[in-house]
Amino acid sequence: MNTSDVRSDDDAVRPRTSPIDRISASLRTGMWLPVGVVVLLFAFFSIATPSFFSVRNATGILGQASTLLLACLGSSFVVLMGSIDLSVGAIVLLVGSATVIALNLADLGALALVFAILLGTGLGAINGTIFAFGRIPSFVVTLGTLSVFTGAAWQLLEGRALRFDSSVFESLAIGQLIPKVPNIALFALVAWAIMAWVGARTRFGRYMYAIGGGEAVARTAGLPVRRYQIYAFALSGAMAGLAGALATARLGAAGPTLGQDLLLNTLAAIVVGGTSLAGGVGGVHRTLVGVLIIALLDNGLNLMGVNQYTQMVVKGAVVVLAVLISQDRGRQLIIK
Amino acid sequence: MTLHTARLSIHDICKRYEAANVVDWVSMDIQAGQVVGLIGENGAGKSSLLNILTGVVRPDSGEMRLDGHLYNPRDCADAARKGISRVFQEQALIPNLRVYENLLLSHEARFTRFGQIIEQRRMIEFAQDIADQAGLMIDVRRPTSEYSFSKRQLIEIVRACVIPVRVLGIAQPVILLDEPTASLDRADEETFFKLVAAMRDTASFIFVSHRLSEVLTVSDSIIVMKDGHVVAKLAADDADEKRLHGLMVGRERQADYYHESLQAVAGPRFALQARALGGHGYVGIDLDLHEGEIFGIGGLLDSGKSELGKGLVGVTPPTSGKVCLYEGPWRNPDMRNSLASGVGYIPAERLAEGIILDFPMSWNMSISSGDLFSTRAGIWKDRHEREIAERMIGELNVRGATPSGACGKLSGGNQQKVVLARWLCRSVRILVLDNPTRGVDAGAKEEIYTIMRQLTAQGVAIVLITDELLELIGMSNRIAIMQRGRITALVDAPPTSKPTEVEMVKLMLPTGNVNREERAA
Repeated sequence: MNTSDVRSDDDAVRPRTSPIDRISASLRTGMWLPVGVVVLLFAFFSIATPSFFSVRNATGILGQASTLLLACLGSSFVVLMGSIDLSVGAIVLLVGSATVIALNLADLGALALVFAILLGTGLGAINGTIFAFGRIPSFVVTLGTLSVFTGAAWQLLEGRALRFDSSVFESLAIGQLIPKVPNIALFALVAWAIMAWVGARTRFGRYMYAIGGGEAVARTAGLPVRRYQIYAFALSGAMAGLAGALATARLGAAGPTLGQDLLLNTLAAIVVGGTSLAGGVGGVHRTLVGVLIIALLDNGLNLMGVNQYTQMVVKGAVVVLAVLISQDRGRQLIIK
Repeated sequence: MTLHTARLSIHDICKRYEAANVVDWVSMDIQAGQVVGLIGENGAGKSSLLNILTGVVRPDSGEMRLDGHLYNPRDCADAARKGISRVFQEQALIPNLRVYENLLLSHEARFTRFGQIIEQRRMIEFAQDIADQAGLMIDVRRPTSEYSFSKRQLIEIVRACVIPVRVLGIAQPVILLDEPTASLDRADEETFFKLVAAMRDTASFIFVSHRLSEVLTVSDSIIVMKDGHVVAKLAADDADEKRLHGLMVGRERQADYYHESLQAVAGPRFALQARALGGHGYVGIDLDLHEGEIFGIGGLLDSGKSELGKGLVGVTPPTSGKVCLYEGPWRNPDMRNSLASGVGYIPAERLAEGIILDFPMSWNMSISSGDLFSTRAGIWKDRHEREIAERMIGELNVRGATPSGACGKLSGGNQQKVVLARWLCRSVRILVLDNPTRGVDAGAKEEIYTIMRQLTAQGVAIVLITDELLELIGMSNRIAIMQRGRITALVDAPPTSKPTEVEMVKLMLPTGNVNREERAA
């Protein structure tokens, strides 16, 4: 192979890119933009509100961010695969409610976590099966189950907040193995590390990228596409189940509003972290940064005394902006 | 100068994609009221030329003039406004609309009050009049989907022919007909030819068809294209089918290029057998593929050969029939079993189905081999993957590639080698290749042919589905020709007595009568 060959070959096909295209491309795939936003937000809120930069507030942020991170980890795979899971918040609510009832029926203790994960997996598998075999767009399937799961949970709760009485279960979330760090944060970080590894180093992870990057290619190459689509939704459900149980443990009760903010927040965190809604680009590892951005925004705006309604406006705008930046406009955005 | 009299005149039009010139210095004049037949084998550049004429594709160079004025259509609608309209091969009618709504689609503004309120009755009367005059024998108030496929095709033809004159008020429109008769039944075909005859004084036609007898009957003059350029322009009176066959092909086939001397002798064992295989686009297929053999499948674009390829492998499982691999059990092909049994497939549509451009070379290579590149527990073997990718890049000479470099940067030929590597990195024993050299430059083409010869020498059996006649003839041990979903001819092609292109083309083109009866039935 001689070098002139390489050059002529490259020149023939490499599309000419303008500087703007290149900057936009590096924004799309680079990690520095979301990380930069985290640093900026941190600096901004530290200056804007005196109570932001404190150990106590940091512990608070960790607690809030942990539920979000746990709930995002599985659905990041779903987004990576080019689909969407709108039912994450509803699974958190239903599993949280069911877990409280289970705890009150039998003294499960830490075993309640296993129960929650299994229940979540089952709910996610229902999503996945309807999606893969019914050939219905995933946003329709999960929009439907969002309502189904929420309704079922409210039936269980009978519209009230249900408390539980299990100090073992409670300490899973609010105990502090490491001082000042609630255990739920440890769970979230360990789960994040495992999921990032799964994304980067396993067959499952590779197939997620392949299905998101080119479903027709994956199918033609012989990947068991449907089976892995079901796996992804089941995993999304499992992680939402874990998040539901731990969030309940943290709050000491499951109420009708549990997980309500997760519908927007999970999608926001995933997309802001840099996983493209078109699929195939990004990864679970990036979701951590997205979660930090959303959690900092939530916390900082609260401390600044910005009201809830304005916060909703800001967060919605951030999501749309993130998609605008991350979208490859040469490609059609299709969510399957 | 013809420039003043020609209705449409194009001069030195060129269009080049990556590896090949699809339209190469094409010039022609269409006079008002003239019917020009445009013929050529698959990939000769006919459709590309029509795309350029209707503004779907912009030419790289050259000049088009309409009545002597420069003509540069932005898109189909613009071309239609300027007087050039086209009937597509695929149906472009909206089935749930009524016929009149389809006929006058996008021209509703002419039938409105205050720009918004549609005067339905006036539209219906107008559309019915158009339909009656064209001899359509339909009620334009009925939903379009109630009419047969053939009738709908005819409605589309009428729309393209009549609307420019009646609605847009264009005198002498140029109408491009791309295989208009392919899906017409006999009665509708007659209506169609009557319509063309009736419009001769008021329109010009470019008529693309594989049915040479029709082209000869209806055209005033005939233009033959081959490999992107015009090889002959002749008056219809001077032509006959035999002469046209010769003009459509007639390239020099170089035995060396296809390494014909290396053509392996087929082994005694069957690698793949199919019986009564049927699915979307093909039916009743029997075939026996031997070890070490290249079994070519040729046919026109609608012959069902690509669909058969997908069926054999199980990408789209056939709906009937059975396949047997290496004299094992007979079963309905499915992709899982094919992968496990050493069957590989390369699709014709590389960008849509073959390769993910954003992905590294190694990922595209290993995508079918989760079994080889991950442990039983599902952990990916990155280092192993990288090593094999490096080896494949070397063995297949994938220029410009590294295991972690994205495939989008590679040329078409090198991308195709990556897709080949997907199968060569596992011990594949049967390969189904659908147009493996499409969009591949000449050098890489020859390398792919070499690889195919090496594989057959090792006993690998190959099904080669291709639109390229020379490749079909040069590479194959045996050639099956498909027409309308069936294998209609099986030809031996030993290196010592290869069939000629003319023979192949004759076998592929529908022979008027037989086909008509089949369709009427």
